[in-house]
Amino acid sequence: MATVCIMQHEKPLIHMQQLMLRYPTGKTALSGITLEIQQGQFVYMIGESGAGKSSLLRMFYGGVRPSSGSLVVQNLDMRLANDAKIRDIRQRTGIIFQDHRLLFPRTVFENVALPLRVQGWQTERLIPRVRKVLTYVGLADRLWSYPEALSGGEQQRVAIARAMTANPPLILADEPTGNLDVDTARRVLDYLMDLNRNGTTVIMATHDLHLLESHPGRVVQLHGGILAGDGG
Amino acid sequence: MIKIPRMRKRSNKNMARRRVEHQSAKRSQVPVPEQAHPRLPGGFNLPPFGIHQVLAVVIVCIALWAVGVLWLGMQTASQWVGSWQQDIHIHVYLDAKKSKADNGKAVTQLQKALQDIAQISSVRRVSAAEAAVWMQGWLHDAALNEQELAKRLPLTFELSLTDKQSPFLFDDIRDVARRFGASVNEDEVNLARAHYWLSEASWLAWFASMVLALAMALIISNTLRMTLLARADEIHLMRLLGAKEWFVRMPFILEGLALGAAAGIAAWLLLWPIIWGSSAWLATMQVNLSLWILLPALLFGGGLVGTLGAVIATARVVSPETAA
Repeated sequence: MATVCIMQHEKPLIHMQQLMLRYPTGKTALSGITLEIQQGQFVYMIGESGAGKSSLLRMFYGGVRPSSGSLVVQNLDMRLANDAKIRDIRQRTGIIFQDHRLLFPRTVFENVALPLRVQGWQTERLIPRVRKVLTYVGLADRLWSYPEALSGGEQQRVAIARAMTANPPLILADEPTGNLDVDTARRVLDYLMDLNRNGTTVIMATHDLHLLESHPGRVVQLHGGILAGDGG
Repeated sequence: MIKIPRMRKRSNKNMARRRVEHQSAKRSQVPVPEQAHPRLPGGFNLPPFGIHQVLAVVIVCIALWAVGVLWLGMQTASQWVGSWQQDIHIHVYLDAKKSKADNGKAVTQLQKALQDIAQISSVRRVSAAEAAVWMQGWLHDAALNEQELAKRLPLTFELSLTDKQSPFLFDDIRDVARRFGASVNEDEVNLARAHYWLSEASWLAWFASMVLALAMALIISNTLRMTLLARADEIHLMRLLGAKEWFVRMPFILEGLALGAAAGIAAWLLLWPIIWGSSAWLATMQVNLSLWILLPALLFGGGLVGTLGAVIATARVVSPETAA
């Protein structure tokens, strides 16, 4: 109980108040979302297609800016942040995409090293770090392979390695198990859970509700762009 | 409230998964060879060269070669004109009948009026005999009667000039000659004004060079644009990972610079056969061309044009999730 009380007084990692997002086309993707996500939580974001899960995740890394309301991510007001601040937030956020967005003309090493390279790491420092991360996801022997030589599950593990390589405090995963079979999806989620146990906040949009049974976490439900439920 | 994930029971599926992981771990113990120079994107790393880049180098090389040939021609013309221009004299002719009027007073006045022009250093009256000998030589010793020829030739003044590029010099000479009913050798005037024509040609050469430079920049820009489109995913991803704009664009700027500089060196090398092939002909014209002057011009010019093309290509690279 004492631990919980201390956590409640901490500043949340993500804080949103009456958040609204309207695209230039006029479509309202999110409306009136008020939510807090604390450091170290594992949050599932569920809802039907078009519920606003991906839009919300995109707002967390500055892919889109809120139309109204407030959104503070890692102490940064996303409505007022300039480009430099957004870049800074992105360097402190690991992103995993459903289609993993691996660079197929580049090796696994080059893919995983990309976030560190962006942050100015020298090649000599990169290699041991990338090796360590790939060893963690069980792909140390595929360092110089190209992604097309890997299976779907392995590709998603490379994407996880890329997201965690810079050791960010926040990982956003947009349906990372969407294209994977049940077993592979569970393994991917094992890695995310393990990262979460080590203190990383993980926010994951998903349709795979069966995963919630084997890998429990806080469940935030969106429906038609509004907050329909919060299991937190 | 933070929910701590609870431990799961080991199912058969989990056991199987652990076996696979164990095998994977064993596999990972096999030493993986080091790659000495991994090819990392962004920053000061050049992207890989492909067929598009080679074609761009060839096309830009041809254009730079044309610019080089143009300026070699200008250099040749300048040296050739310089080799004989010091020897040019302008001749003014006064009809023999007019020269004898007023007991030759017009001749003296004409000579004095010509001497009064500031850019004329000396006015020499060419004797009839000298003119006749020159005429015989010009007609390839036609064995004419020199005395008869001398009678028919006009009175000739030979003008030595101090500054052939003075803007109104030849108009002044014509005015004086016209006042005394004399005429000026216009062919000699045109030769004396070769510098003027050369400077006019030089402007044209600059203009042509600029047009070709723009064309080259657009060719490189187009090539880089194709590379950019081919690597759009990489660019978007780098931006999503928080890369600065210079980090994203620098490889393309460097590529443009390298393409232009490589084309410049290749164009310079291809100018040597022209020098070797025309050396005998150039020697007869007392022209000694230096290609080394063109090396920095083509190298830096090519690099500049390539960089300009890269700047044009990367001026508008929009990623969907970075247009916040």
